[in-house]
Amino acid sequence: MTTGDGIYYLAAARLGDLAERDVQNLKPVLEWTEGSRPFAIRDCFDQSLRMSRRLLLEDGGLLELISATGEALRQPATPQARFVAEFAEGPVKAALAGLSPLRALLPVAAGMARSGRLALIDDEGKTRARAELLELRPTDGNAVILVTPQGLRGYDRALHDLVAHVRDCGGTPLGAGNLYRMIDPANTGYVAKPRIEVGREETAFDAANDLIDGYLPVARANEQGIIADLDTEFLHDHRVALRKIRSVLSLFKGVYDLEQTAELKLRFSALMAPTGPLRDLDVYLLAQQGFCDLVPERMHAGLDRMFARLRDRRAAEHARLAAHLRSKGYQKEIKALTKLFAKRRKLLAGQNASRASFDLACELIWKRYRRIRRIAAGMTAETPDDEVHRLRIECKKLRYLMEFFGPVFPRRDLKDVLEPLKDLQDSLGLFNDYAVQQTKLQAFMDDLGDAPHKLDIAQSVGALIVVLHQKQLGEREKIVAAFARFNSDRMQRTIRRLFHEGKGS
Amino acid sequence: MQIIACYSNKGGVGKTATAVNLAYAFAASGRRTLLCDLDPQGASGFYFRVKPSKKLVDAQFFEDDERFAKAIRGSDYDNLDILPANMSFRDFDVFLSRMKNGQSRLKKALKAVKADYDVVVLDCPPNISMLSENVFQAADAVVVPVIPTTLSRRTFEQLLEFFQASGLPETRIHAFFSMVQNIKSLHGETIAEMTAAYPGRFTRATIPFASEVERMGLTRAPVLATAPASRAGRAYQALFDEIEERVKA
Repeated sequence: MTTGDGIYYLAAARLGDLAERDVQNLKPVLEWTEGSRPFAIRDCFDQSLRMSRRLLLEDGGLLELISATGEALRQPATPQARFVAEFAEGPVKAALAGLSPLRALLPVAAGMARSGRLALIDDEGKTRARAELLELRPTDGNAVILVTPQGLRGYDRALHDLVAHVRDCGGTPLGAGNLYRMIDPANTGYVAKPRIEVGREETAFDAANDLIDGYLPVARANEQGIIADLDTEFLHDHRVALRKIRSVLSLFKGVYDLEQTAELKLRFSALMAPTGPLRDLDVYLLAQQGFCDLVPERMHAGLDRMFARLRDRRAAEHARLAAHLRSKGYQKEIKALTKLFAKRRKLLAGQNASRASFDLACELIWKRYRRIRRIAAGMTAETPDDEVHRLRIECKKLRYLMEFFGPVFPRRDLKDVLEPLKDLQDSLGLFNDYAVQQTKLQAFMDDLGDAPHKLDIAQSVGALIVVLHQKQLGEREKIVAAFARFNSDRMQRTIRRLFHEGKGS
Repeated sequence: MQIIACYSNKGGVGKTATAVNLAYAFAASGRRTLLCDLDPQGASGFYFRVKPSKKLVDAQFFEDDERFAKAIRGSDYDNLDILPANMSFRDFDVFLSRMKNGQSRLKKALKAVKADYDVVVLDCPPNISMLSENVFQAADAVVVPVIPTTLSRRTFEQLLEFFQASGLPETRIHAFFSMVQNIKSLHGETIAEMTAAYPGRFTRATIPFASEVERMGLTRAPVLATAPASRAGRAYQALFDEIEERVKA
């Protein structure tokens, strides 16, 4: 048997058409295997699998990863497993290694499945081509059939005719369409970083409105996932979206009326504030293994106790945030803000509102860039942490500006600038993480009071702080090197050409 | 890749039925199997409903790897493909004469599909000829059906002599008693005598004279696919198990 020509899906309602008439003088014969079994289609919230043209299917006790070419990897399913790391070792798990380890594989659809086969038979009763059928009947949503044509060696023409027949009956290649949407027409997918078009001549006011209007739905799309505590990325994405909105408000100077800018900043800041404590705890808990790797094994018991306490705190914080997101106050506020940026009638223009996006972008980016060079120029091994912190914040703002206004600059040039900037930011981020972690761990210890095993915990955490301090010192040297790359002559020329000499295009 | 040849220098002994059922059993055991129909009389392709290919009447067939591979047809069963040779007697003579110059031409042709198959079962024509010698050279096992009669004993001896004369190892021969009728005392006696006379050459499994085997011409499918629980079905399964074990060793 040779593998066929990809895998197709079609509405179960079209099943009758498949076996209705002869296909190039070959008789179609449809057969179903007795009995059915539960199935579930799984994917991350951002549909990484669908985007990479793959289908993860729990079929009875099997976990299958089907590619657009129809090839399937199989391994026994691990009941209750939600993250790739929790799956049993096997070819499917290995193939899923590229997925974010932080993303849960959530059920897209679940119900009952049955298997069948469609064969095209000649006048001798010989099968010339066939297709494996898998009917998926979800509890909620439309039933679909997956069709995997399988050619028999030496009968290429029959296979070709079978594929054409499947397509005639509405078969869509798995990689080309959206199976999820056929099952649930309301399945719209989720994009964490929406592409928001900004035109060169578009007014800065419109651009800012478009950006905020584009990121508000991202924040909202994550609410349910946070409340249900599906994975930590929901909260992360929610916060990133709100942070981007706040950046637009603070970085697009003079685009909105001064007073309204201040008011909006306060309102978005208030939306984000309750999410901080939970995110901090998530970051710690995700770092558990990393922390343990940093200290000797005899210290692990103390760290485990610390993490147990953090997990308790996280449960309490999660309950608090979930209640907040469900509250009438939050819902009313975020709806009001969504409406404000959708309708835009009540938004007041500032002195830069009518400037062309390109002009304003160049001015803001150039200013920010020069400030970064000033700070970085004086940086040595003795520079106080606060200065490094300031450099980190400035780089972050520069990055946001470049990304917001990205569409008005040549893509390739921008990529050349963004890459070394990202490297620099990574180093600055690590430096900052090490610093913040030390402070927070110290605070955690000071807070222990008369907790049981206090001594154990204090010893382990103390050891961890020492290691983190060493790592922080090491990272500072890397920052100097990363800045040198970002500040190369070539980069300076590119940035000047792009953002200062009005030759952005 | 293992090559299993089904051969008999006598016609009508159930050779093609054996090739068909062994090939089916190898495929069902999960091995990718190719059944080559080299016997213009046997037509093992017929039992798999594969239409004879008009393109294959050319004697240069085995000299052209690509044509050889292109002629292969998938059967209705998983892991089992068929090479329907469909050569006429006349073509076959031409074919054989051409083979004179290269004894291992068959093996060369099989190499072209080596990566595609774990097992190749050959349904051979019933005479000791150039082709047969080729087959014996190439095969890991030569499976020989023997009807337990005095005449068959003569033919089997001829085969052994041929092996000796050609310097081929006799251990490659795995004979079994075919079309056995327990009601005939002669059959029982011959089986006992021959098993003793040629130690190690005969399998324990025997294939009975059964209507299921004859009916293969109507069902056009292996007995192992249509009636695996029948007497003949169980016998073919036992034969397969034994051959598989012997080839492994």
